Amino acid sequence: MRIGEIIESTSTHFVAEGFELNHPPALGSFVRVCVGEGCDLYGVVCYGETGSLDPGRRAVRRSTEESFDDQIYRESPQLEHVLRTEFTSLAVGVIERGEVLQCLPSQPPPLHFSVHGCSADETTLFTENLHYFRILLRASGLVPVEQLLAANIRQVHRGRGEDKDWLQRAAREAANLLKYDYDRLMTLLYAIEPTS
Amino acid sequence: MERSRLGVVTDGAFNTGLTVRLDADRSTEDLRVGEFVVIEGKSNRYFSMISDMQLRVSDPRLLSSPPDDAPPLVAHALAGTSTYATVEVKPMLMLDLTSDLDELRGPQSVRTIPMHFAALYEASEMDFATVFGKEGGTNFAVGTPVTMDIPICLRLDRFVERSNGIFGQSGTGKSFLARLLLSGIVTSRAAANLIFDMHSEYAFDKQTEDGHWVRGLRELLGSQVLVYSLDAEAAARRNVDVTLIIGLNQIEAEDIMLLADELDLTATTAATAGLLGDQYGDDWLRQLLAMSPDELAQFCQSSGAHPEATKALQRKLREVQRRGYLTEKASFSLIDEMVTALGKGRSAILEFGRHDSPLDYMLVANIVTRRVRRLYQQKMERFEETKAEADRPLQLMITLEEAHKFLNPTVARQTIFGTIAREMRKYNVTLMVIDQRPSGIDPEVMSQLGTRITGLLTEERDIDAVLTGVSGRSFLRGSLASLDTRQQLLLMGHAVPMPITVRTRSYDKEFYQDIQRGGRAQELPDVVATDIWAE
Repeated sequence: MRIGEIIESTSTHFVAEGFELNHPPALGSFVRVCVGEGCDLYGVVCYGETGSLDPGRRAVRRSTEESFDDQIYRESPQLEHVLRTEFTSLAVGVIERGEVLQCLPSQPPPLHFSVHGCSADETTLFTENLHYFRILLRASGLVPVEQLLAANIRQVHRGRGEDKDWLQRAAREAANLLKYDYDRLMTLLYAIEPTS
Repeated sequence: MERSRLGVVTDGAFNTGLTVRLDADRSTEDLRVGEFVVIEGKSNRYFSMISDMQLRVSDPRLLSSPPDDAPPLVAHALAGTSTYATVEVKPMLMLDLTSDLDELRGPQSVRTIPMHFAALYEASEMDFATVFGKEGGTNFAVGTPVTMDIPICLRLDRFVERSNGIFGQSGTGKSFLARLLLSGIVTSRAAANLIFDMHSEYAFDKQTEDGHWVRGLRELLGSQVLVYSLDAEAAARRNVDVTLIIGLNQIEAEDIMLLADELDLTATTAATAGLLGDQYGDDWLRQLLAMSPDELAQFCQSSGAHPEATKALQRKLREVQRRGYLTEKASFSLIDEMVTALGKGRSAILEFGRHDSPLDYMLVANIVTRRVRRLYQQKMERFEETKAEADRPLQLMITLEEAHKFLNPTVARQTIFGTIAREMRKYNVTLMVIDQRPSGIDPEVMSQLGTRITGLLTEERDIDAVLTGVSGRSFLRGSLASLDTRQQLLLMGHAVPMPITVRTRSYDKEFYQDIQRGGRAQELPDVVATDIWAE
């Protein structure tokens, strides 16, 4: 399913404008960009933001005692046209003719190409290996990397039908990668511990 | 060959041993210090021993705030990643996998170490067999590894060719082990044995601390074992072959030096015995005991002996004279006959019966052994002259309990046992010393012991003493301290290819059957009970 269009593209990440205002794909979820015949570039959503179309104009308060939240949008349909939602994804690999490569792509995805949400099968295929954790942990964004990785693990765990073995494997891999940073590791592990 | 993997080599040095990081699914509790393990290098297989274990964390912050009530996922993720264990492994022997020759020669001493990430495995049955050999002949199964049920063999031919020691605190099974080994040595005919049995426990059935009866060597091995006794009364009750009589003429000044502590003699007093010996020869003790005060004064004047010391010596030795087994004059024929029997491969147990005080034990053991060694020396000299294989004296092993009484640093240089231990196998006579305080034994003697078998020791000094002159002692220290209090022993030295901790074989019905089967198979037709007094 198309969920956005690329408006900024680099070797390490790409920014897309989402088709649905206020609803960027979930933090840590997988997205893909079809970059050629049988070749998809995979990204992990690492940041989302909704703001004014005009970077010079900040949004102003619109709520009143009687009208707030969703009602504001119903009463001001023009907002859909002056606001936009963007999300940033980290490029973590490609699947070319069924072969998974977990590394930075050789080319950034073309500007204005579509960003698709990933199906459960696509996510499952890409996450059989966990080498992409290393790429996520090297990210330099506004979201702390341990939170980003935790969000990704939660998303994939859900996408893989609450696969317990995968979760344990992911937790061990994360523990291995963060073994010299106990505090971040524990933040991550407590964040992915299933609540039930 | 399926082996179970434990971890990989990550660090190490030839001198200090290797560090192995345990795999995440392995717990230190699955392993034991002293355990026999195998490292598969690229071209060599290293038979090694675990000498130490360490718990590690990758980030020291974990130590200050340990996750005590960590949920299962967190605990599982941390184990083997942030928290992990390493074991120190000391390679002891190696087998060159690239050369056919080594397959035939068996494992050799270690000359190199494996590279990074060589895998560490639990030893398989095949590994034990490669290193310790299969049971049979002079390969005697002395026990099993602590975690496995396969025999660990001691090479009895190598065991008897040097003096050796069995140590351990009281209750660790020293005398049971001695019984096992002696049975093995007798049936495999590795050596003849002379056993000084201070507490009369080797020859006949004996009740153990936990109340069941175990068989004596005489009952187990029959006529291959002769029983001598010092105690005529006990001899009449029990099935004893010979009652031994010692003559005053057989006591030498050396014996008195050995007894200085027991008789509470000063050095001067003990030295007086030497002066008497110079003057009267063999007859010195009888002469001394018979001296009137005037004669004694006269002797002191003529020889320069200290009168008070001489009087004290006379007084103290009168106590000795009252012993039931002493007579004024005795020939060495009984001991000589015993040596003849030993020369034919029989073994002899000398029981002390009620004469089981340290004084009796030390005096008689010293006299008997001195004579035995003298005869063996003659035999050896004859063999060296004739060079005929038939004249080669059969290996003799003398079993000595409470060995520190004979081998402590003060007397070891004077007693015959000290001499035997030091000159090693020169005259084909060796010692098996049994003691619970190895620190009491002269270090020079300790360093000459070829094979050491030790049960649990807790005193630092005793542990140091047992490891005197052993290479890699720091590695063995850990395994020694971690032995169970019962039925676990550390074997090291000449008769085993590498040190190993074993659970001792039980001295029970199954063992009796094994021994009796083996004994019959090995018995030579030319030795029958009736000819032992021939010659």
